[in-house]
Amino acid sequence: MALKKFVVGVFDDEHNLFNAVRKVRKSGYRLHEVYTPFPLHGLDREMGLRDTSIHTAGFIYGLTGTSLAFGFMTWIFTKDWPLNIGGKPHFALPAWIPIMFEFTVLLSAVGMVLTFCYVCQLAPFVKKHHFHLRSTDDKFVMVLDVSSGNSESEASDFLSGLGASEVNVQVAETGWWLGTYDREQKLGLSREPSH
Amino acid sequence: MALKYESQVRPPLVVGGKDYHQVTEDIVRPIEAQPSRLWWIGFLISVALLLFGVYSVYREVVYGTGQWNLHKTVGWGWDITNFVWWVGIGHAGTLISAILLLFRQGWRTGVNRAAEAMTIFAVMCAGQFPIWHMGRVWMAFFVLPYPNTRGPLWVNFNSPLLWDVFAISTYFTVSLLFWYTGLIPDLATVRDRAKLKWRKYMYGILSFGWTGSTKHWQRHESLALVLAGLSTPLVLSVHTVVSFDFATSVIPGWHTTIFPPYFVAGAIFSGFAMVQTLLLVTRKVLSLEEYITIEHIEVMNKVIVLTGSIVGIAYLTELFVAWYGQNPYEMWAFMENRANPFSPYGWSYWLMMSCNVLSPQIFWFRKMRRNITVTFFMSVIVNIGMWFERFVIIVTSLYRDYLPSSWATYYTPTIWEIGFYLGTFGLFFTCYFLFSKFFPVIAIAEIKHILKRSGDTYKENMDVVEKKAVDEVYEEAHAAHH
Amino acid sequence: MTTSKEFFEVPKRYKNWSYGLIGIGILALLVGYFMYGASDDIHHKSRFWATLLQNSTYFLLTTNAAMFFICATILAFGGWQMVFRRVPEAISAAVPVIGVITLVILLAIVFGGHHMTHIYHWTDHETVANDKILEGKSPFLNIPFYIIWTVLIIGLWSLLGFKVRKISLEADKPMSVEQGKKYIWKNTVWASLYIVWFALTVMSTTPWLWLMSIDAHWYSTMYSWYTFASTWVSGLALITLFVIYLKNAGYLEYTNKEHLHDLGKFMFAFSIFWAYLWFSQFMLIWYANIPEETVYFNPRIKDGAYSGVFWFNFIINFLAPFLIFMKRNSKRNYTTVTIMSLIIVFGHWLDFYQMVMASVAPDHVEMNLFDFGIALGFVGIIMLVTGRALSKYPLVSKYHPFQKESIIHHT
Repeated sequence: MALKKFVVGVFDDEHNLFNAVRKVRKSGYRLHEVYTPFPLHGLDREMGLRDTSIHTAGFIYGLTGTSLAFGFMTWIFTKDWPLNIGGKPHFALPAWIPIMFEFTVLLSAVGMVLTFCYVCQLAPFVKKHHFHLRSTDDKFVMVLDVSSGNSESEASDFLSGLGASEVNVQVAETGWWLGTYDREQKLGLSREPSH
Repeated sequence: MALKYESQVRPPLVVGGKDYHQVTEDIVRPIEAQPSRLWWIGFLISVALLLFGVYSVYREVVYGTGQWNLHKTVGWGWDITNFVWWVGIGHAGTLISAILLLFRQGWRTGVNRAAEAMTIFAVMCAGQFPIWHMGRVWMAFFVLPYPNTRGPLWVNFNSPLLWDVFAISTYFTVSLLFWYTGLIPDLATVRDRAKLKWRKYMYGILSFGWTGSTKHWQRHESLALVLAGLSTPLVLSVHTVVSFDFATSVIPGWHTTIFPPYFVAGAIFSGFAMVQTLLLVTRKVLSLEEYITIEHIEVMNKVIVLTGSIVGIAYLTELFVAWYGQNPYEMWAFMENRANPFSPYGWSYWLMMSCNVLSPQIFWFRKMRRNITVTFFMSVIVNIGMWFERFVIIVTSLYRDYLPSSWATYYTPTIWEIGFYLGTFGLFFTCYFLFSKFFPVIAIAEIKHILKRSGDTYKENMDVVEKKAVDEVYEEAHAAHH
Repeated sequence: MTTSKEFFEVPKRYKNWSYGLIGIGILALLVGYFMYGASDDIHHKSRFWATLLQNSTYFLLTTNAAMFFICATILAFGGWQMVFRRVPEAISAAVPVIGVITLVILLAIVFGGHHMTHIYHWTDHETVANDKILEGKSPFLNIPFYIIWTVLIIGLWSLLGFKVRKISLEADKPMSVEQGKKYIWKNTVWASLYIVWFALTVMSTTPWLWLMSIDAHWYSTMYSWYTFASTWVSGLALITLFVIYLKNAGYLEYTNKEHLHDLGKFMFAFSIFWAYLWFSQFMLIWYANIPEETVYFNPRIKDGAYSGVFWFNFIINFLAPFLIFMKRNSKRNYTTVTIMSLIIVFGHWLDFYQMVMASVAPDHVEMNLFDFGIALGFVGIIMLVTGRALSKYPLVSKYHPFQKESIIHHT
């Protein structure tokens, strides 16, 4: 577990932030992450994060649910133990739609939330390095990775120049499970919002 | 960054000149402060009710369902009425968070968190009734399809009662997940402000180690959107399935095709009424009037008059088609057992009509919609009416069946039936009191998200945009994109 | 400054197309009249009038759904639709025109009575006298009430729609924030009046009278809500088609993919809603299995003549929009949305086809050029009237208080 060094810039206003992100990315500093108290639309694209595909996972889980419910009920009522219920056909599809639907939603929702918690490494008793306590209140916190190359004082000056109201240097452990900072993101080119 | 603008014609959704930090302060304050005397009184009353409910259920489990006044023909009485009533109330929360999220109604941010919590507690209460009604509750797991030594003899997938098992449990699970994923960032806010060690520790566990990283927010937003998309048909499906419990059977007054959407409309109606009841008290006690403004109340009253009228149209449709169909049994069920005010249960039908259809019509008037006393009073009236709707559907259709010799005597509940119902009130309010003490009752992050568009001070500054010509605004928006 | 074209100038090609389609409609009407309408065979006559009934009511309710869209968004304080709101307004201008045509057709069928068609059995005194059930229904199913109510239905839709459109024009002049508030209030009042009348007609009495009474013995409380859902989705698709057309022709500069996306979402959501009502009505009748009720579905499912139409209808109105509109990108693609809108408009036309035809002529399906010709004729009328209405007023109400919100709208 190697230690890494970060320069942390605290911004008071989200308006400056977009500009700052753009400049940081142009200047060649390694942008580690930006922490905000609420979601900022378009910031992910500005940072060059790739789109999440969590909804695709949800679709697959849902489809699994539909097929499982359908297959299970079909097998039970036509093969395993066919019963005459009110003179209805054994393969009573209309009567199975409600359960198929509910099971689709159940699997999709549970699967997605678990996936979300896994990819974000969120769970009870997880502790992560917190760069600034007010990043969940009213501050917007930008973190640059300066463990290799860039000098920390240079980076600090750079962030102050961009409008950060407070800049400091922090050291945290690498790795991304239990007690450290968030997983490294691969940043692509920053993109325009799609039309 | 997109232009933060909203027409000044729209009233602000957050007043009092808040900034981000102030929002946090205001909403987290009740969690960090000692509970008030009023809170303790309410909480203890709720616990007392809950205990009475526990004792009532204990009687029923030990001595059997004979403790209730269910008898020939009226096999479903207060228990199922209460079940449907609670499930209905449990619809508003997910509706507010899911459907209104999809319809981008900004005002939902002030009320969604509490409404979702209410949903979960209401579904918990609802679930009690069918479970304890089973009589031999230790056999309750028989409703689950699992390989067993009885054949294996499976559950009946064609039965609407089994659909209910799936619908209610799915609804509870998904609502809980939806609510909790939304809570995580706010719990992290509480954690990061905490001065006391135990509070830091507790909220540290509850907030799952949330940091607010942009990548997490991106996934969080996507998750919320898909969960909303899933929950929307789910909300519809739950009360639809409940309505199928009645509508699939060939019983006059129950078998009618409009039941699914009409039950859903009724559920939303009663759910919103319950949200009003709770929030009017919550905003006052926790001084959150600047977040749950009179505008929020007015909008919810509009939803109440809309859904109340939809329910009214459905009642009239039912009544009309009962006549139009010229089926003597159906006509008897409606014209004699319900609509005739002098028949034994006629009073309940007219009580339902006046509470659900007539009285909400006063919300056509703006003055009434913005009057807090009237709103509170009406929210209670609506829920009384909606309770009677279920009572009318269940009891008036059952108490006189095809064989006059088995027509039931007048059905009245025993003290233990009433106790069970009161007990669920205890459960509901105990949970709600605990929630309002330990969790942020308003979604902090979501309020911050709309603050610069809908907050009063920010809106005043929109004069600049308001004065511009549309072409100019268009040019700027266009230029910002390219 | 960009030069945004403020007024729609009806292109020659557009005019020719609409006249051409109306021409086809008239031709189909004439040919149909000589083939079926003038025939001695009562089944042929019924088929002729049933086609007219199906098409006129379908297109009337669909154009009327455009006004419902406007009023519903007014009441919801919606802002996003403002950039193209004049389009549904223009479509709703077709309500009086198609309304008159519908009225003529309905009156002809009612007055023509049992000797002309076998559509409304309840119009025949002899049948009613020998039928206890129809006799019981006669306080509702009788000719005077039918006529009065139908005139009221169409008249009030037209009048209230006219008023709402007229109020819309006030937003072509500048207004202050205070005036804006009053203006929104005025809109709300008239929109709620329209919605109340809509609830009393489209969501209840209209489909009972015009369509459900074809199966005079049969009833379903869901019927009207189902009909509403059907025409509401097709109304949305119609709005979308006109928006895309104008966009392609270089108008509606402010409208972009964000608005298209939302229209797509609406079609997606309400296609599911339609399927939900479809399923609820079908499943409950299937489950209870009472002969009085299943009689409706007998010609439509299994061995019935219309089973192909019936299931195809379900596929194109539910599965297609559901699967295709699920993806974000397909809602933002002009071509996909155009194709899907066309499918939806056709799909719900087919829904009306099976609703009417399987009841009038349950034994065999006879869909031919006559049906399509009449439908195209109505499409021509809608194009003509909407085109004219669009060219009269500015395409965008520049001073509407929500206009700017709509311009910067983001999904």
